[in-house]
Amino acid sequence: MSTKQQHLSLPINKVPEGRLGMWVLIAGELVIFGGLIATYLQYRLRYPQWSEMAAHTSTLIGAINTVVLLCSSYTIVRAHEAAQHRDIPKVLTWMTCTIAGGLIFLVDKSIEYYHEISEGFTFTSPHLQQAGDHVNSLFWSFYYIMTGLHGTHVLVGIIVMFIIMMQVRKGKNLHRVELAGMYWHMVDLIWIFLFPLLYIAK
Amino acid sequence: MDATLHKQSFWSKYIFSTDHKVIGMQYAIMGIIMAGVGGFLAYVFRYNLAYPNASIPLFGHLSATQYNAFVTCHGMIMVFWVGMPVLLSALGNLLIPLMIGTDDMAFPTVNMLSFWIFFLSAVVLLASFFVPGGAFGGGWTMYPPFSAGGYVNHNPHFFTALFSGVSLMILAVALELVAMLMGGINFVVTTINKRTKGMTAFRVPIVVWFINIASVIFMFSVGPLVAGAFMLLFDNILGTGFYDPARGGDPMLWEHLFWFFGHPEVYVLLLPALGVLAEILPVFARKPLFGYKPIIYMALVSAVLSVLVWAHHQFVAGIDPRMATFFSIGTILISIPFAGIFLSFMATLWKGSIKFSVPMMWVLGFIGLFLIGGLTGLFLGSNTFDIYAHDTYFVVAHFHYTLFPDIFFGFFAAIYYWFPKFTGKSLNAGLGKLHFWLTFFAFNVTWFVLFFNGLAGQHRRINDYSDFSLIMREPYITFEKIATISAIILILSQFIFLYNLFTSLAKAKKGVKNPWESNTLEWVADSPPPHGNFQTYPVVYHGPYEYSLPGEGADFLPQNVQGKNDTNNVTQNNYEHKTATSFATHK
Amino acid sequence: MNIFPENVSTYGQEIDNLFWLIFAFVAIAFVISLFVLLYPLIKYNRKAAPKAEYITGEKRKHFKWVVVALVLLLGSDFVILYCEHDAWGQIESVPAKADVKVGIIARQWNWIFVYPGPDGILNTADDVIVDDMNSSLHVPINKNVVFELRSQDVIHSFFLANARFKQDVLPGRTVVRWFNLTKEGKYDISCTQICGVLHSKMRNFVMVESEDKYKHYIDSLYTANGRKTAMK
Repeated sequence: MSTKQQHLSLPINKVPEGRLGMWVLIAGELVIFGGLIATYLQYRLRYPQWSEMAAHTSTLIGAINTVVLLCSSYTIVRAHEAAQHRDIPKVLTWMTCTIAGGLIFLVDKSIEYYHEISEGFTFTSPHLQQAGDHVNSLFWSFYYIMTGLHGTHVLVGIIVMFIIMMQVRKGKNLHRVELAGMYWHMVDLIWIFLFPLLYIAK
Repeated sequence: MDATLHKQSFWSKYIFSTDHKVIGMQYAIMGIIMAGVGGFLAYVFRYNLAYPNASIPLFGHLSATQYNAFVTCHGMIMVFWVGMPVLLSALGNLLIPLMIGTDDMAFPTVNMLSFWIFFLSAVVLLASFFVPGGAFGGGWTMYPPFSAGGYVNHNPHFFTALFSGVSLMILAVALELVAMLMGGINFVVTTINKRTKGMTAFRVPIVVWFINIASVIFMFSVGPLVAGAFMLLFDNILGTGFYDPARGGDPMLWEHLFWFFGHPEVYVLLLPALGVLAEILPVFARKPLFGYKPIIYMALVSAVLSVLVWAHHQFVAGIDPRMATFFSIGTILISIPFAGIFLSFMATLWKGSIKFSVPMMWVLGFIGLFLIGGLTGLFLGSNTFDIYAHDTYFVVAHFHYTLFPDIFFGFFAAIYYWFPKFTGKSLNAGLGKLHFWLTFFAFNVTWFVLFFNGLAGQHRRINDYSDFSLIMREPYITFEKIATISAIILILSQFIFLYNLFTSLAKAKKGVKNPWESNTLEWVADSPPPHGNFQTYPVVYHGPYEYSLPGEGADFLPQNVQGKNDTNNVTQNNYEHKTATSFATHK
Repeated sequence: MNIFPENVSTYGQEIDNLFWLIFAFVAIAFVISLFVLLYPLIKYNRKAAPKAEYITGEKRKHFKWVVVALVLLLGSDFVILYCEHDAWGQIESVPAKADVKVGIIARQWNWIFVYPGPDGILNTADDVIVDDMNSSLHVPINKNVVFELRSQDVIHSFFLANARFKQDVLPGRTVVRWFNLTKEGKYDISCTQICGVLHSKMRNFVMVESEDKYKHYIDSLYTANGRKTAMK
């Protein structure tokens, strides 16, 4: 083993592997959401009556969620900053804030879903379908698949950040805070696109 | 580190291994098994085409539903469960770390996960044969609303809709795409980050370049289809109407999403196989690859163009007729870089010293067949002739002439070439040549006659042509029989390969390090390479194709051997010196 | 032996001609490429040429051969594109003068033909519908027949090989196309987009008739079937 170590020549290593991998993953994710958004836009332009349906979404809750996500993006940046200084208690504090932001987002979202579902606007909106209004029921299909996929990403982000926090607590894997931050920014960015498309354009 | 290595149990060494070589082998074996399934399906429906309503040996009577399902699954399996794992994943895993001179992939655990998700996807697909109603039979393109009617038409219950042929197939495809995405991330990161000392971008072998370009094309085209596949699944199991015009949707949306991925997918399959050609040709022509850098640039151009041509699959689908011209021009433009790559390959042969070894024969056969496949593509790239030829056997013969050499000739060339490396044993050359000639002739006979059937107006995916007077006449009936008999010979001749494979594996290891006298780094490692690949990480001094360089003693100059013209400039590529221990424990 | 089925449409010949034009380019390219591939295998095999020459192909004087070939290929591609352009416009756009209008509706698994009623206008209440496996679409010879293609359920594709015409029929859309058939007879219509179990049984006919016979047939439809309500 020791002879091997002596003769080891070293690889070219510009970017840390994790960061590079995360960039590639983000590129892939953006294409998935990009396809979904492009599809939605195509239908939205075809069906102007969707603006009536969009009026049923709560702009207030959407706006609150936007602010919450933006704040949580700020806190994860602070966590990353702290991680660079190996300040573990600070990392944990800021990451807790970020997770809290994610949880607030999900709670808000659930409240919103609850209101919409109680109005009868579900993934398939049976009352619209029965009334023959298939086009408008399709709006809700898009609404739920887009926000649902985004919400799933928020949930996954929260779980992953929790796992990373457990590792950081033991002083391990501090570089992963940055990766979590990159992922979280992506989630944030996607929401910035979804918010005007689903909530503001009425 | 060594101590833990030797204590590996059977499970962690061969099943849940994170070693790139084991994962590569797993992908290859899985690909061969699925090729067996796909080949059997082909046998069954080809037999039915030549002898309608006859009882098929080893199968029995084939119903129309089964025929449709078999045709659909044959296409699905050969593209997604043979071509992708074998060309992209198996080659990528086996070759990339060895060729760039490193110990393993950047993310070994993700790599293992990728294979097991792929395995799961294969299981889901095969399970779909056994659910009520059988596997999905609406073509591998899965055009809705035919593929979206699960909820409305037949299964108004969530679980019956979920466990139907169509839902399982969509799920299987989605899982497979996720597995390949994970693999692709690994390839790109490994290649960018883990190259050994001196391995600059333009010293990386073409096959590694091409697998990376293919991975990037795949990543940027598959996203919309992943989202689209879930939308199709929801149409089936929950009753949404994304693609069903009766429920507000539009089936054209799926056609766009599918082909936006589906056409780049062709290049995802083609590029790794072309990479194999680029590795093997110089070795057996003893001559540098003709135009190493231009080939890379042409591949990059084709990668960009690949996402601009998808709608040439939809010339007759009812898209705006003016759009067709745009996509026709795109199709013409993308044929140029690929023609350039093939011409460069052929130019490599000129003034070489060609040895007809078994891998070389597969390579030459590949080029010959692909010539026909590519040139017949000119007919179909013309949107006007496509009005007639679309969905006829002319198209089917065309894409078999491209995909069959691509997947099988590319794979066999790779197996015969790299088998000694990864097993330390060698395959029987005589049997290899017999295998090649039988495959080559049987394939040509099978598909060449079917071009004529296509021009006579024979359309695809029909289990019984008895109603169609244009097809039910001579010589087309005879052509069908010729195609079937020769397809059976084609399938049977693959048993020669299996026999060769197993008998060779049973032989004792010879462990010849570099039997073909090749330059690339994988031949520097032991045969088979141990866990961690290299005793010492090789240092690279020059490009991968320095054959017959004047002034050198031998007619080859491995990348890790300093030639007379090589300046010792490798250190400038070292950006960060890690300590040896931290690198060694990085597993 | 003619490799195509008999052509009976006005624009079919253009597609056949286009095939032979492309075939000429392809044949030349194939012969040259085959020579470029096979010649070195004989000339430069190990026995004949034990020592290879060191050519990287990155020098301009070597790589120019590839470039020349590519320019030729690109040129012939655009010649093909230029030659086919008119035919494409002709087939895909409907002529101003429509002599006969019919509706063609695809469903699992036969083609439904809709003739305008006595008022002569399609898509009105008095349309006559022929909905039967093995039924024929009757059209007069040498007339511009404009048809509206629709689908009731899944994607189908209308294929009339003898006219060299094919068009996918997507549910939720109406596609208007045309043909002008020049020879009397009965020709197969098939569906070329897989549409279910009986996809291979989805076969109807086009019956090309003289003007008189066609009129007679339409009259017989009006009397025999009475007036049926139009399809939605």
